[in-house]
Amino acid sequence: MPDRTAIEKSVKSVISQALKADEQKIALNSSLIRDLGAESIDFLDIVFRLEKEFKIKIPKGELFPEKMLTDSRFVQDGKVTPAGIQELKLRMPGAPWEEFSKNPQVSNLGDLFTVGMIVDYLAEKLSAAKS
Amino acid sequence: MSVPRLEGKVALVTGGSRGIGAAIVRRFQEDGAKVYFTYRSGSEAAEKLAILLEIPKDRAISCDVRKKDEVDAAVEFVLGKESRIDVLVNNAGVIRDGLFLTMEDEDWTEVIDTNLGGAYRFCKAAVRPMMMQRAGRIVNVSSIVGELGGFGQANYAASKGALNALTKSLASEFASRGITVNAIAPGMVNTDMSGAVRAAFGDKIKEKIPLGSFAEPGEIASAAAFLASDEARYITGQIITIDGGISLLSRR
Repeated sequence: MPDRTAIEKSVKSVISQALKADEQKIALNSSLIRDLGAESIDFLDIVFRLEKEFKIKIPKGELFPEKMLTDSRFVQDGKVTPAGIQELKLRMPGAPWEEFSKNPQVSNLGDLFTVGMIVDYLAEKLSAAKS
Repeated sequence: MSVPRLEGKVALVTGGSRGIGAAIVRRFQEDGAKVYFTYRSGSEAAEKLAILLEIPKDRAISCDVRKKDEVDAAVEFVLGKESRIDVLVNNAGVIRDGLFLTMEDEDWTEVIDTNLGGAYRFCKAAVRPMMMQRAGRIVNVSSIVGELGGFGQANYAASKGALNALTKSLASEFASRGITVNAIAPGMVNTDMSGAVRAAFGDKIKEKIPLGSFAEPGEIASAAAFLASDEARYITGQIITIDGGISLLSRR
């Protein structure tokens, strides 16, 4: 299994390919949407490239829980409900949920999709696959 | 002599053993592409075509476009051999003409699931490698009845109208990845499939075509080759009508 530094390096390279972004400008805390300009199709592109790079399958919605956002249990009037935040916490434990909870606008969610979140996800996924 | 326009491209043509599909296979081969094609019922025709064009026999792939596993396997096969796919032509199609009120449910389902569902499944399988390549060409073989409707062709016309809409939708979704998606919409073409229509209405239809004749399959294939080439880089989401002018009449 690649160590965290190796994962980070590969993730940055994948993101720079998918978003045609300068690898030097990609940091762990870069937000994919706000800082790197990712759109919905870019998230798919990133998933495809990660699958190829790490030779894994990433089930739909596991890395980016985009389907959740159209579920009325989790999102109402453009805001993520407490149940929704609970669910997201489970899926993305590393994100700054306290900060987000203060103003849980769906439009702010994009800020939580960071490069570091992908690295966290992969580190866990790859170690689970190994054990 | 100039470089053939599809030199080095890997192309997959569905329903390539006969008719327009076979003409596209032939044209792509002549233009320098590495052509793979699928067939369902025409295994003999597929084999003959491969021999005639000196295409390795394993590039003729048996595939029922209604079956997802067969479609995925066909795309995987091409990727396994070539590691890329530059051009996808969704040509596989059937007709089951009949008056709407007496149309069997199976005739509706088969036509929709082949002509539209087949394109859906192949696009889904082939777009992913194209996305990774940041380049790709999809050409859907539609029909003028997709726009005009057709007497006794409710199923066929509906499948082609929907294929046009699929074409435009995918064009907008994949433009940012360098993938173009277009359709060609032939009118009357000299093929086996249109034989029954031509036998029934023959000269009556011909008289109505401004250019005065049916198309030869090769004349449809040349438009497909152009759309598949680098020269068509800036064209996407378009339905190119190739009908000798017949659709002009309905606009008069």
